[in-house]
Amino acid sequence: MTEPQRDELRQRVRDDEQPPAAARVVIRGGPDTLSLLRAHARRLWRSYQLDGQPVYGISVFVALDDIGPASERGILTVKLQSYPSVYCCTVAAVTAAGFELLATFSRPHFTIVLPDLDSVGSLAAMFGELLVNPYAGRGEEQR
Amino acid sequence: MTHIDILADLNSEDETGFVWTFLDEADDPAVIRPGAVVVAGTPLTPAVCEVIDLIDKPAGTVVHLRVLPGTLDEYRRLLARAGV
Repeated sequence: MTEPQRDELRQRVRDDEQPPAAARVVIRGGPDTLSLLRAHARRLWRSYQLDGQPVYGISVFVALDDIGPASERGILTVKLQSYPSVYCCTVAAVTAAGFELLATFSRPHFTIVLPDLDSVGSLAAMFGELLVNPYAGRGEEQR
Repeated sequence: MTHIDILADLNSEDETGFVWTFLDEADDPAVIRPGAVVVAGTPLTPAVCEVIDLIDKPAGTVVHLRVLPGTLDEYRRLLARAGV
């Protein structure tokens, strides 16, 4: 039985973009569990390959700008407005944990490439505790 | 536990700029039609979304979703005010 043809993720990498500085903030809406992270990583694996090989990965956003839609506030207000809780770390923390951070699709979206499904534990440890997203929702009530 | 119409990672966007997932991750695929308003995400991270389109790919039918403004709690309070 042959596997379905996957789209090539490398063709979706923004290779004209400078790598984000180490101090830039990496944000992901949560909460996650290890089981959910595996399910999300499998979804990318099912649909994409990287350099011809099926790839596991988890989506995040990186605050690339100080203001505007790709800023930390812009991401929390628009992209992650449905998430009352988020995980945050830095680009340096992602690379220190041994993960590759690929600028994929439209900025400020990135994919953290996972070597295998077991590495979701390291990923969760890297992100640490959930933080409150102060911009969740549309301010129906005072937060 | 919140009922989820279709499982998705609402952080995951593709080249369309919309959230994407697979149709076979829907509880009832018949509900997932362009223009439909659905609850998507995970039981821990549900959100109200609009189905944008369904695209057939070799790996399966991909569903694109637009996350609508507001949290699920805000929609619950809206419905309570409306007496629905």
